Amino acid sequence: MNSADEAPYLRVAVDVGGTFTDVFVQNERTGKSHVAKVPSTADPIDGVLAGVRAAGIDLDRVALFAHGTTVATNALITRNFPLAAMVTTAGFRDVIEIRRGTKQDLWDTYLDVAPPPIPRRHRLTVPERVDFSGKVLGALDEVEARRVAKVLRARKMTTVAVCFANSHANPVNELRMCEILREELPDAYITASSDVLPEIFEHERFSTTVANAVLAPKVSAYVNNLQDKLAGDGYHHDLLVLHSGGGVMTPATIERHGARLAASGIAAGAIATRHLAELCGFGNAIGLDMGGTSTDITLVADGEIRMTNQWFVEYGYPICFPSIEVLTIGAGGGSLAWIDEGGSLRNGPQSAGSVPGPAAYGNGGTVPTNTDANIVLGRLGSSLIDGGMSLDREAAATAIKAVVGDSLGMNVEDAAEAIVAVANANMADAVRLLSIRRGYDPRDFALVAFGGAGPLHGVDVARELSIPTVLVPPSPGVTSAFGCLLVDIQHDLSTMYLARADTARLEDVEEAFERLETEANKRLDAESVAPGDRAIERFVDMRYVGQWRSMSVPVGHPVRSIDDITAAFHNEHEREHSYRRDDAPVEIYRLAVRAVGAVQKPELTPAERVDTTWTPNPLGHRSVRYTGGREAVETPVFDRTHLPAGAELRGPAIIQQLDSTVVVPPDAAAVVDRWGTIVITV
Amino acid sequence: MVSQAVEKDLDPVTFEVLKNAFSTIVDQMAEQILRTCYSFVIYARDFSSALCDRDGNTIMQGSQDIAVHVGTLHFTAKAVIEEFGDDINPGDVFALNDPYLGGTHFSDMRIVRPIFHDNELIAFSQSNGHWADVGGKVPGSFDMTAHEHFGEGLRVTPIRIWDRGRYLHDVVRMVLANTRSPEIAGGDLHAQAQATKVAEDEIGRLIAKYGPNTVTTAFDRVQDYVEKVTSQRVAQLPDGEWETEDFLDADPARGEGLVRVRVKLSIDGDRIRYDCSGSDPAVANPLNASNGSAFSGLITGTKMFFPDVPLNSGFYRVVDVDLGPTGSVLNATWPTAVTGFCSGAYEKIVSCVFELWSQVVPERAIASCFNLEYLLVGGQDQRSPDSPNFMWYDWMVGGWGGRNGRDGSNCTSAVFGVGEEVQPFEAQERLSPVVTTSHEIIMDSGGPGAFRGGCGVRKGGTLTDAGRTVMSYCNDRSRSVTWGIEGGLPSMPHGLWLHRHDAAGPEYLGATFSNVAVGPGDSFERPSAGGGGYGDPLLRDPAAVLEDVLDGYVSVRRAALDYGVVVTENDADLLDYEIDVAATNELREQIRQSRRSWLQEDPQDIAARYSSGELDKFDLVRRYGVIVDWGTGELLGETTKSFRAMIQRRAVACWTT
Repeated sequence: MNSADEAPYLRVAVDVGGTFTDVFVQNERTGKSHVAKVPSTADPIDGVLAGVRAAGIDLDRVALFAHGTTVATNALITRNFPLAAMVTTAGFRDVIEIRRGTKQDLWDTYLDVAPPPIPRRHRLTVPERVDFSGKVLGALDEVEARRVAKVLRARKMTTVAVCFANSHANPVNELRMCEILREELPDAYITASSDVLPEIFEHERFSTTVANAVLAPKVSAYVNNLQDKLAGDGYHHDLLVLHSGGGVMTPATIERHGARLAASGIAAGAIATRHLAELCGFGNAIGLDMGGTSTDITLVADGEIRMTNQWFVEYGYPICFPSIEVLTIGAGGGSLAWIDEGGSLRNGPQSAGSVPGPAAYGNGGTVPTNTDANIVLGRLGSSLIDGGMSLDREAAATAIKAVVGDSLGMNVEDAAEAIVAVANANMADAVRLLSIRRGYDPRDFALVAFGGAGPLHGVDVARELSIPTVLVPPSPGVTSAFGCLLVDIQHDLSTMYLARADTARLEDVEEAFERLETEANKRLDAESVAPGDRAIERFVDMRYVGQWRSMSVPVGHPVRSIDDITAAFHNEHEREHSYRRDDAPVEIYRLAVRAVGAVQKPELTPAERVDTTWTPNPLGHRSVRYTGGREAVETPVFDRTHLPAGAELRGPAIIQQLDSTVVVPPDAAAVVDRWGTIVITV
Repeated sequence: MVSQAVEKDLDPVTFEVLKNAFSTIVDQMAEQILRTCYSFVIYARDFSSALCDRDGNTIMQGSQDIAVHVGTLHFTAKAVIEEFGDDINPGDVFALNDPYLGGTHFSDMRIVRPIFHDNELIAFSQSNGHWADVGGKVPGSFDMTAHEHFGEGLRVTPIRIWDRGRYLHDVVRMVLANTRSPEIAGGDLHAQAQATKVAEDEIGRLIAKYGPNTVTTAFDRVQDYVEKVTSQRVAQLPDGEWETEDFLDADPARGEGLVRVRVKLSIDGDRIRYDCSGSDPAVANPLNASNGSAFSGLITGTKMFFPDVPLNSGFYRVVDVDLGPTGSVLNATWPTAVTGFCSGAYEKIVSCVFELWSQVVPERAIASCFNLEYLLVGGQDQRSPDSPNFMWYDWMVGGWGGRNGRDGSNCTSAVFGVGEEVQPFEAQERLSPVVTTSHEIIMDSGGPGAFRGGCGVRKGGTLTDAGRTVMSYCNDRSRSVTWGIEGGLPSMPHGLWLHRHDAAGPEYLGATFSNVAVGPGDSFERPSAGGGGYGDPLLRDPAAVLEDVLDGYVSVRRAALDYGVVVTENDADLLDYEIDVAATNELREQIRQSRRSWLQEDPQDIAARYSSGELDKFDLVRRYGVIVDWGTGELLGETTKSFRAMIQRRAVACWTT
């Protein structure tokens, strides 16, 4: 029981991944944190509760429980949806099947785009029409609308997406259809496109609405169930669930906006990246989260996480909410090395998975993986997870020789180095797409390397990109869970506002912003955010008249002048695309606000003192071969828990810890900072 | 701490790294174009980016590039080399759009930048984009009445637009001044030029890291690599010769009768050879292909049977092409009009190549896909007082051919540009005084087969405040209807129906026309065909037919007519339908008994039954093999003869019962 004199003092984050459920616990009273890792379970709630037990958490003492979940992502991947229908404008039944018509692979005539989430048989139409300006060309045919609603009731639909033409300009018909559906199907979820995403472009709006419709029942049932279970065990506050945009929501708003959780499980790494980089004084950082099968790359510039408005699980069905831009590539510890028919060495995207796993696991794997190559090179030791699992170097060497070495005429060590080099180059190319392609110079960034395999490869990837600094967080394997504790409640709202900048009226823009802010405050009210904890940021999306894409420019509150925001647009266009057209007319396309309800963050306690007198105390030595070195180098191996703040190491050095291995190659230098982060100068 | 790769030949790692880096560069160019372009056609991904070596050979092209530019990019770089020779300098940028120099059509403006290292030319980058208008007599620059190119649009032979870094304002202005939208064209020209700069900068970065010799060696090795992969694949295939033919609808100068495109494929060891001799002479409209786009059609079709092989000049080295005599419909020369090649000869070449390779690699077989179509409505937008020009320039998705063991894809972009997006009608309605009346799948549009062709769609609109407006249509296959293979049947004819505001009913304008005046209150609609069917439709699993009925892809009526499957409707609202097994067996037997003789029935008689409303277009193309003018009902006798012969060859000959 929670005694009156003892306020809750634990902050808990649980991040559910495909393989593991990670728990991060921060004790406010002591400033200490601890972690736990349990296997993920078929019903993720079991894994969450097991993690809570494994971490020894007394839920009575928990002040804040944050959660990153893949429930929505997995539902999208596996198409595990409730019975869902769509009601749309007559003549436009197939917008979500027509999509934009394109295929992800241009050349493979046997590789198909997935069918729409709601099949044609459950897409019904009603006569109604609104034009581009919002004028009603035809009122909703109420008789037909009622008939359609009754049909859907007879089919026992649990959720319905209502998607009408130009409803972003005037939702009157769409909202009336929703009313009729609610009357006829009182227990179903009814989602209107004008509510979910009031933006022009029918397929993108409809697709997002359909995602919301198919996810809402499942996702809200999940979070309500988890909330109840946690409450039953003594947790008395709102469950905070991470959404794709990098904020959290409570079960109260998730009910209406389930699709916002679509990327919940992969957003936390970016948040942790930003935080860890900031602690070390870096406003610019690239997150490299390398796990067993893939690597997630994210980018933070000037303290802001790079976002995208087009995110999808299945090609062709975008979910157009602001989402953290995560570039996922098939390069992980388990990615397979292979020789293609042209004799070229390739790496991934296929992975050995957990069965059979890398050859060194001794479970029958015969194709070499990055893990095998790292073992042969000595970068990984002969056991994983604190001795809990031993690795077979001979098996790794045999696989590398058979598949790569013999084909390329290389000895085993050279072949292993080649495998790692290709993996690193692939990761570096992916980082380039997110950085150089966006106009950012990697040399201005720090690389935050985490996930089980990130710290093994981090320095090599950084060198490939001329990134000067690599940061390895204290617990690389549970960094994402830590990220869940670092976020605020956040809602993103937008409205179309199409006007040329030279004729746009400041008062109109201000008024439109105020309307958005009223709605934003309503949502924050629902989540009981105190007025003092609120902050609302404004953005204007602009473009040169005639261009198709717009760019989002942050603006002040209130907007001072249209000229100011136009000037900001020219600057942003030049920064991103290296040219500007000062003479070309500019138009405003969309207004957006980000409403934030501050959530108290864990206060990490820095080390009380920095030990400058520390002398190296390796566990032992082993022979390690590094990139570019022809010979293996005798290298000291350290236990990370033995490295105090202030400890300085010159490469070569290997640092082992429970959930990862850090490689500090020759000519690199590492220092442990006051926050426990290893800062490597490459 | 930058590793210096060995400067002799390439180790496998440096090779793989540079290969991926080149690929990243061209995709970076594409991203830049998408973010900065003006033309909605380019924004919809009708563009390509390429890196070529100093001789103009293609090293790498964008992974999402439009197929129709494939195989023409090296011609473009070589045309610049041919024109300017030694007078190519750092800071220069060139432009051209000439289809008679290996290009596609005037709309595709190609911007080429030479890349130097230490004043030595080492490569070219190019950005090609489809401008919304390049002048000429028809808005959108598709004059479907043109015999010769004069007046179709501005022909730009290779010109210099930046001279050693100095922008040649006068030259560019002259080009832009010949378009209907100089501001948009100017915006695109700058966006494209800047995209080529992206490649220059990135190549510079690679040289700084790996050295110039390593990078230029990699240019060669990347091509060698593709050549090696492709020739090894081809060597594993059986040697042999296969030939086929396809048709354009008609030559306006020669009256009714289909126009032949012939393609012969030979595989000889590790080489592929194409011979297109025997094709008919060029037609008197712009549906002809010039040599560049004909080559592109052969390459595009071939590549779809090698989907995972990267595409560059190394691929072309494995393919020998003989287009046959000049002056044919697929080897047209100056000044023959070729702007509509993409809906005409090009599309037929690709369909032929699909059919040929379907025999060589049956596990990737695919029937004919719907024909690319472009509808252009241009005039004055009188919704605003200054009545600016508007251009409602539209293309549709359609059905792809049935496949071996799988139905064709519904609603997919044309083979010509699988990455080309259809436009949102909500954006079109904002930009043009046209209210879209429908954009939806056409029931029964997929060609019947054991594996059905994918479904096509219909899209139409009503003009509102449109002044001085004309409509043009660049399309084909209103007569040479999209066909099936291995016993599968054709889908449905193309063609636009116009319903004038003061007329009692719609009129049929066909699939190719130009400059038809239209005004407020007039509405129009046209279909995109489904794909052709694969395999005998009477062998389709009745359960699959039932699923199609539930989704409204196939009607209850045509389930019986096309598949012999009798479906009973119990309650449509509850999706309660069932198959009548006994009636199905009986009906399938009746169809087996009669279907060969239906294809022999008197065409005049069939045409009359169409005119009386007793038969519809599906009955004519699928059951009787008869082609008429779909508006007047007039029989097209010569066309019907060729069409029936085609059905005999592709369907009847494959029916085993």
